Amino acid sequence: MSEIKFILDGKTVTAAPGETIMQAARKAGVEIPGLCTNGKVSRTTSCFVCVVKDKKTGRFLPSCSACPAEGQEVESETAEVAEMRRTALGLLLSEHTGDCEAPCTMACPAHAKVEEYVRAGRKGDFKEALRIIKERIPLPMSIGRVCPRFCEKDCRKNITGKAVSINDFKRLAADLYYDEYMEDLPELNGKKVAVIGGGPAGLSASYYLRLQGYAPTIYERMPQAGGMLRYGIPQFRLPKEILDREIAHYLAMGIEINCNVELGKDITLEQLSADFDSVIVCVGSWSPSAMRIEGEEYAEQGIRWLEGLAHAKWTNCKNPGRTVVVGGGNTAMDCARNALRLGGDVTVVYRRTQNEMPAEQLEVHEAMEEGVKFEFLTAPLSLRKNVDGSLSLACQKMELGEPDASGRRSPVPVEGSDFTFEVDTVIAAIGQRTKAPAGIEADKRGNVAAARENLQVSGNIFAAGDCVSGPATVVEAVAGGRKAALAAIDFMEGREHVEAPLFNVSRGHWRSLCKEDLVYIRDNVSEDDRVQPEYISMEKRKTTFEELFPTIPAEKIQAEGERCIECSCTSKGECKLKKFSEKYAVKPDMFTGKKQIHAADTRHPYIIHDRMKCVKCGICVKTCGEIINKNLLAFMKRGFNTSVGTSFNQGFPSYCKDCGACINECPVGALDWREKK
Amino acid sequence: MSEIKRIKVGTASCGLAAGAGAVLENFKRLAGDIPVAEVGCIGHCYCEPIVELELKDGTNIFYSSVKADDASVQAILALTENGRFTIPAERAAIEKLYVTRLAGRIDPKDIEEYKANGGFESLKKATAVTPAEVVEWVKKSGLRGRGGAGFSTGMKWSFLAAKTAEEKILICNADEGDPGAFMDRSMMESVPFQVLEGMLIGAYATGATKLFIYCRAEYPLAIKHLQIGIDAICKAGLNLLPGREKPLDIMIKEGAGAFVCGEETAMIASLEGQRGQPRFRPPFPTDKGWNGYPTAINNVETYANIPVVIADPDAFAALGTEKSTGTKIFALAGDLKNPGLAEVPMGVTLGDIVYKIGGAAPGSVKAVQTGGPSGGCIPADKFDVKMDYDSLKELGAIIGSGGLIVIGNDRCMVETARYFLDFTHRESCGKCTFCRVGTMRMFETLERIVAGKGQESDIDFLEDLGNKIKKGSLCALGQTAPGPALSTIRYFRHEYEAHVRDGYCPVNQCNALSDVALDPAKCVKCKLCIKNCPVGAISDDFKIDNSKCTRCNTCIDTCAKKAIARVKKGTGYDSTPGK
Repeated sequence: MSEIKFILDGKTVTAAPGETIMQAARKAGVEIPGLCTNGKVSRTTSCFVCVVKDKKTGRFLPSCSACPAEGQEVESETAEVAEMRRTALGLLLSEHTGDCEAPCTMACPAHAKVEEYVRAGRKGDFKEALRIIKERIPLPMSIGRVCPRFCEKDCRKNITGKAVSINDFKRLAADLYYDEYMEDLPELNGKKVAVIGGGPAGLSASYYLRLQGYAPTIYERMPQAGGMLRYGIPQFRLPKEILDREIAHYLAMGIEINCNVELGKDITLEQLSADFDSVIVCVGSWSPSAMRIEGEEYAEQGIRWLEGLAHAKWTNCKNPGRTVVVGGGNTAMDCARNALRLGGDVTVVYRRTQNEMPAEQLEVHEAMEEGVKFEFLTAPLSLRKNVDGSLSLACQKMELGEPDASGRRSPVPVEGSDFTFEVDTVIAAIGQRTKAPAGIEADKRGNVAAARENLQVSGNIFAAGDCVSGPATVVEAVAGGRKAALAAIDFMEGREHVEAPLFNVSRGHWRSLCKEDLVYIRDNVSEDDRVQPEYISMEKRKTTFEELFPTIPAEKIQAEGERCIECSCTSKGECKLKKFSEKYAVKPDMFTGKKQIHAADTRHPYIIHDRMKCVKCGICVKTCGEIINKNLLAFMKRGFNTSVGTSFNQGFPSYCKDCGACINECPVGALDWREKK
Repeated sequence: MSEIKRIKVGTASCGLAAGAGAVLENFKRLAGDIPVAEVGCIGHCYCEPIVELELKDGTNIFYSSVKADDASVQAILALTENGRFTIPAERAAIEKLYVTRLAGRIDPKDIEEYKANGGFESLKKATAVTPAEVVEWVKKSGLRGRGGAGFSTGMKWSFLAAKTAEEKILICNADEGDPGAFMDRSMMESVPFQVLEGMLIGAYATGATKLFIYCRAEYPLAIKHLQIGIDAICKAGLNLLPGREKPLDIMIKEGAGAFVCGEETAMIASLEGQRGQPRFRPPFPTDKGWNGYPTAINNVETYANIPVVIADPDAFAALGTEKSTGTKIFALAGDLKNPGLAEVPMGVTLGDIVYKIGGAAPGSVKAVQTGGPSGGCIPADKFDVKMDYDSLKELGAIIGSGGLIVIGNDRCMVETARYFLDFTHRESCGKCTFCRVGTMRMFETLERIVAGKGQESDIDFLEDLGNKIKKGSLCALGQTAPGPALSTIRYFRHEYEAHVRDGYCPVNQCNALSDVALDPAKCVKCKLCIKNCPVGAISDDFKIDNSKCTRCNTCIDTCAKKAIARVKKGTGYDSTPGK
């Protein structure tokens, strides 16, 4: 038989007799996506991702099975065909569940590969753990100490106990190897970037710029780099010697840090924009918010007060005496606990209840342990200075009313409940605002107006960190710094900046799941209690600025790693459904609805069969039946509830040779080895 | 001496369901010497049990809705005037009984009676000429497959006849799966020999060596009658066709209840012992079918037509319309007076079938669903459509296997679509993405709409996804599954809009969007409603608490004064509105 000539997207393509459109297209350099075909087993036509359109009849054909006819005109690249493929992929995603990424990684603002570094730590390879951490978190020593641990809040271990103590892996890995670890640095490519601000965002931006061969220069208005890490976060939470070690690495990487240089005074944005290929503004959020009460001027401003302590190296500071701290955020907690350590008798005044406090609950708890008193549902009314120099803070009791815009119930004054604190010091820690540098547009909240998708301010100027987001966490600043760096690089190279969205099909938040929903690829996942840090004595906590607890030692952290469930997909990086969905920009929620519920089958010692991932392509069934000649897998049920199973659902029998052929062919990792690389 | 020569009791499934078993017993007991025969179904299922008396003078009398008690039986034996049944003239004028001529009139298990009524004459006529001539007759008759797709039977046979192979397979598709379709069952129960004769002629014409009847296991009586028929045919030697060395191999395969196995490639897979899943065509079954052998599949009704076709191909071609020749048996079900089977020439209008044969009250019908879950609905204002393959296709419906489900004015079309999608999403074979998942997503959307949680965008969503499912499915099940939703949107979009936009069900059928209300002006305070309400939702002063009410309709059915009715949610007298 002679060859068949047909027309694929306007080009003449030749097919051998019996060859499918997909095979012929591939030879002609057109890759048609498909999940249910692998060229090894008989044709299935299940997924319909490979559809092409027959121009003459208008019919859509599965190109994995349809053979071309002489002269047939076939369309594979039109918008209409793409839409059909998108729909097929969307429908498959709507019945597919599998955690492309673990919830911890999704929760982390920097999307650090948590599961991977916890696994490395579990196996004792903390150097590898550090390498993985630094892919996204270039300040592991600091973040390992001060992070509010977004990852742990979404950790599925919360279902059966407490979250894995993820952040302590970071802290230990950094403590062990940070000083000796050095990245492979490429040659400088000659392009220079000015980074304004040496805080977390600025340091992070510099780090990722340098890693790609760009020369960053940091301009820092303070005497030393570190930003809020140095001048906001207290010594007992982050010892500054640790921060010095962390920043030393940046210098070792050849990043230039110029301190005592202030924007608007010593340098101008205009000049930097002209002198450098790009500028990244990371000036932070340093203006304290006002209490808006009479006598406000007699109160200390929280972050200013903390900054003063930092300049004075903590220990040499004055005892604030009887102290009231106004506010419920992390800054308020830091102020209160510092004041306590300086000998003060400290009360925190907050106008709502503990439940509404924006501060980390752990810090509130620690503050309470240390002896900080709390007056909830209390709002300041006025501040008066007495002749003896002491202060009278008039307050009013509050009660909770209707929820406000933030979703928190707003406080309403209780008539006739006024009372007065007689104190020596009042510290107002009720928030911070950004002061956008001159020449930069601010948004309605006063933050630097930067484009959401690439953090571009204008021209070659980008911005990141608190000055864009408003006061936030170190890890968010670090994530922003990286994003701005990558966007600036694309700008400098004249490329369009396309942020790859983190594609994820989640099984759901742990609060919506139960123990039976968890998928254990290891049999011996530890159900021991979460590792506990060994705090220094309470006496020391109350009177010294010593760090709250030493880094948890390696053997305990390794044991903690045994608790990790390893939630993410075993087929990460190989999943065809994800690959094609990303290619066709299909979102996992394109269609929503019922999914089949199956427990993952882990009866086999080496193989996991997770039918929640299965897209019913049948390749495994055919591989085992047609190639291995075992027929150990078959379809069961019909309609939407169709699934692949073993005989009488008994699992793989003893005569399964564990050959793994089904695993190799599964496009989505529904069948996989019970181990992660 | 009685004037009665023979008593015939209709004991097809429809008769038995209506109580023909007891009727038969009592006639046997009380009829003395008069022979009592069991016969099939004459199509008037609405008035089963039916008893026919053959009189010695050659006339006959039908009795309908026969009761089994001795007095009733004895009255009939005495030829009472009461309960006599004649086919309504209006119906008789439309119906043309060719294929069902013998159905319900002869003993289906008796080959001799079939022969005595002209049975196997067509086989004799066919085997007297060459197979090629038989194929030509069938082609000339214009007979199209009665299973739904409407492909030319003669063409299909010619494809198989052209093949040379060690074995050639002919299959009878008796997996009648559409809800509301029962003409195949009736044919197999009532005239199994006619179906088998059609198959024998087919085997002769195509050179087939092996015959399968793939019959759903839910039709035990059909299977029993067919097996009796096959045994009788083999005993009579009819399975050894002229010019053949080996007798035909005729087998019944009972289907396990999967709707998709009515699709030819799925049926072949099932016959091979595989999972019943369709496969991509080509290769077509006539090239590569059962176990790789050339195979042709025809529907029960098609085979039942064959003896009629062979008897006079030209007369057959003259029946019906130009492109849809012959007659079609329709199964009538739903909101009408006379459910049952009716054989009419192709091209009769739908209105004639619904009103004149089905006896539906004029103005009481909103639409008819044709072709079962694979078909579409035809609104009442289009009832002048001629019932043939092509006219229905133009309206977005299909003739399908001939099931007509009559939808009364008080039915919600969204709920109707939901009902059919519920069927198809369960009955998808599960292979293709669009059908397996897409029908589920459509079903879920329809569920939301009837539950009062729909959004306006849902209608466009249903249309968009429905059209994609049609385009992206391998077999007819998936390609037609969105039909009920798409056609109801096409003709009853306003009903969908009322649900999603205005928050009510136009016919107050959807529980979530309806309240039950009592009209104090009509109420005579008989308290029957209060007494019968299973959840105590009606207070002593005749107020209905709709938050308690389960919408079971008991009070509505109980009220003699029709004072209670379903109303648009939140309206209606001073009943307490529902949640």
